[in-house]
Amino acid sequence: MSAPAPARVPPPWAAIVAIGLNTFREAIRDRILYLLLVFALVVIGASRLLSLLTVGSEDKIIKDLGLSAISIFGVMTAGFMGVSLVFKEIERRTVYTLLANPVRRWQFVTGKFAGLLSVLVLNVTLMYAALAVLLWIRGEQPLALAPAVLLTGVELAVVTAFALLFSSLTNPILAAVWTFAVYVTGHLVWSVRLLGERLPPGFARGTCEALYWLLPNLDRMNVRAEVVHGIALPDGFLAVSALYGASYTVVVLALASLALERKDFA
Amino acid sequence: MSEVAGSPPAAARVPDPAEVVVRIRGLGKAFRGHLGIGRTVAVDGLDLEVRRGEIFGLLGPNGAGKTTTLKMLLGLVRPDRGEVLLFGLPPSDPRARARLGYLPENPYFYDHLTAAEFLDFYARLRGIPADERRVRVPRALERVGLGDRAGTPLRKLSKGMTQRLGLAQAIGHDPELVILDEPMSGLDPVGRREVRDRILELREAGRTVFFSSHILQDAEMICDRVAILDRGRLRWEGALRDLVSRNVRWFEVEVVGALPPDVPCERVSREGERHLVQVADVGRLARLIDAVQRAGGQVVSVWPRRETLEDLFLRELGRPPGRAEGPR
Amino acid sequence: MHRLAAWVLVAAAVASTAVSGLVAERMAAGRDEARSLLYLPNGKHLRTISLGHAPLLADFVYLWAIQFYSDYDREERFQYVEHVFSDVIAELDPRFVDAYWLGAMILIVEAGRLDDGLALLERGFERNPDQWILPYLAGWEAWMARQPARAAEYFRQASAVPGAPVLTRRMQAGMLRRAGDERTALGLWRELLEDPASDEASRAIASRKVRELEGTVLLAGVREAVERYRSETGALPRSLEALAQRGYLSAVPRDPSGRPFHYDPRTGRVAPPSGRVLGGDE
Repeated sequence: MSAPAPARVPPPWAAIVAIGLNTFREAIRDRILYLLLVFALVVIGASRLLSLLTVGSEDKIIKDLGLSAISIFGVMTAGFMGVSLVFKEIERRTVYTLLANPVRRWQFVTGKFAGLLSVLVLNVTLMYAALAVLLWIRGEQPLALAPAVLLTGVELAVVTAFALLFSSLTNPILAAVWTFAVYVTGHLVWSVRLLGERLPPGFARGTCEALYWLLPNLDRMNVRAEVVHGIALPDGFLAVSALYGASYTVVVLALASLALERKDFA
Repeated sequence: MSEVAGSPPAAARVPDPAEVVVRIRGLGKAFRGHLGIGRTVAVDGLDLEVRRGEIFGLLGPNGAGKTTTLKMLLGLVRPDRGEVLLFGLPPSDPRARARLGYLPENPYFYDHLTAAEFLDFYARLRGIPADERRVRVPRALERVGLGDRAGTPLRKLSKGMTQRLGLAQAIGHDPELVILDEPMSGLDPVGRREVRDRILELREAGRTVFFSSHILQDAEMICDRVAILDRGRLRWEGALRDLVSRNVRWFEVEVVGALPPDVPCERVSREGERHLVQVADVGRLARLIDAVQRAGGQVVSVWPRRETLEDLFLRELGRPPGRAEGPR
Repeated sequence: MHRLAAWVLVAAAVASTAVSGLVAERMAAGRDEARSLLYLPNGKHLRTISLGHAPLLADFVYLWAIQFYSDYDREERFQYVEHVFSDVIAELDPRFVDAYWLGAMILIVEAGRLDDGLALLERGFERNPDQWILPYLAGWEAWMARQPARAAEYFRQASAVPGAPVLTRRMQAGMLRRAGDERTALGLWRELLEDPASDEASRAIASRKVRELEGTVLLAGVREAVERYRSETGALPRSLEALAQRGYLSAVPRDPSGRPFHYDPRTGRVAPPSGRVLGGDE
């Protein structure tokens, strides 16, 4: 008969780091990551070829294609990996053992998010580095594109949070559809506002206004046109935009935590 | 034999609340069917207690509600009514879960992790700091015989190895309460023996073990107390010895040749010339042997039997254990 | 036996694919697939479906347009140039300066539609008021088309952009002179000469132009005064000094080299001092 070891509840950050690290390892060992990354690098390289077809504006084309590739492939990676993240744990029942430990469900959600976001940051960094090398060889200044890349990272965080939310609610295919819907909506929010302006004041107009403010406005994190043309952004726009994205992400993660809190793992 | 669950009759031992590790009162859970149509009651009004230092078996056929009960115990499923307390706390409280270890049935693991990474992950979730982990993880791997497999990914390990690893995860941090879901399912006799020995070791060390199983023989060998569930309801709860008599209940006799008609015995089976019969006591046994010899037959073997849980099952529930309930 | 049949089937399928592909290719030779891209929807709509990648889409349309418009075999290839450049590319990426320039070049140089080309450059300048190059190019094209007054206006717009090079003002002055407005041209050249921001080369040119024009403008002014006198009094003045005394001239006119003008009271003709045509060397 011996005295049992002291029972410890880990501090929240320790649980989040553990789960995040686990998720990072899982994502890194997922082949689809490399598929998309290679694709992206090929596209960035191909932009050099594409620029041969143009009259002037070679650099504009390389920058446009490079930045758009980072965004599109980033979102695809976030989507593909995010939608199966929680679902796989539930399917494979690894979540049972995990939650039998002294961790809370919101820590689980946050940890998964942190892990996936780390992979995405790595991804984006690699793609940006490739683009930067290509531009630097041509005598361009790649650092000027940094704000666009940074805000793209914030956009990816928002999309990942949504993917995680849907992954907690349904199977990966439906979750992917919903995530894609959010992405499309996020880039069309501006038209909702335009629609609202054309309507007479009333319920419909009010709904449009409400939707405009509630839905995630992903175009706020799109400054690609500005950085490519060298147009200065308003002072502090970068910070405010990033804050908007980060805050929205937190809200969505909170929703995901709520969804998981109420879930019965039958 | 007590029909309904209750505390042991005589020798009133005042239950010391501090000693009750798991308390379940009036637990109920029903699941809604697909699209909200229909309702299946998984657990219906369960009361049970597990005391410190004992090995408790939750038994019953498949579909009896054992897994659901276990999940409510761990906070994975929220009960519709009633309460579950672990060390006096609800399972939703991490402090309660900090004192237990859990091994699920047919555990699926993160097959992308190596054995060492796997144990390290759960150690982190238990708040074990890095320097301690560095020591304990290799030691835990050694203890389950996987010391040389620290860097092997889980998907490359055999089922036996992953089972051992899962057990290491469940008890490696030396919890006060160990919860095991069908720990011996799918194992060969050697594996089952190992698991049984482990559980007994835990009791030696003063730990409490709660496990569910539909294999009654295993339960019989190690449990102190059991609860038997059927169709979500508790059928019996109590000390094993109170449920199953240790006395010899009857004899099984194998006879070759003619069977004398006038000896009171029950025929169990017959294969050509060989008969297998049951007699109720020693007296009738003597008469049977005598009668058979006189009739010119041969008594091949005499086997004293006591009632097992299985017999109890067959008798009371009208069907063998392990077979789930048919359509109502 | 089955093996053989399977191989034969596969070979037949491959052959059929190749043959039908070739035939279809030949039949489709008449079709111009790239043409269909001419019927692109308005850039505003494309912007919506681009989901935040509008500038990239603009690039693709631009690249396609280059290929399309450099294909000299195409007939009627200049329908829709404005649509492509002004309605599509410009709407997708209003700051894509090269596109305005290229579209205008196609319109002016290849299709011979000066006004449309200039309109495109104007549109580009509207959206990119910091790009002096656009009105500058418009000015050049107007000049090549012998419309110096129009050219002068474009160069003026270009020079009004902060940071525009001195060149634009030189061009403006030059065009004004060609358009016949020597007075304003002279004023501009003087400004250029006195502007501390002007570079050496510009100053040298300006100084020469000022000298050229001063005499001419002065002469024109004197002639104008004589005409005024004549229309008001019905007679010719006796001398230039008389004109000055009467107030028709602010002072007795002398040319930049200091010599007085020749005036013939009988004909009313005013001539430069040595009969030399001003605007020569010096």
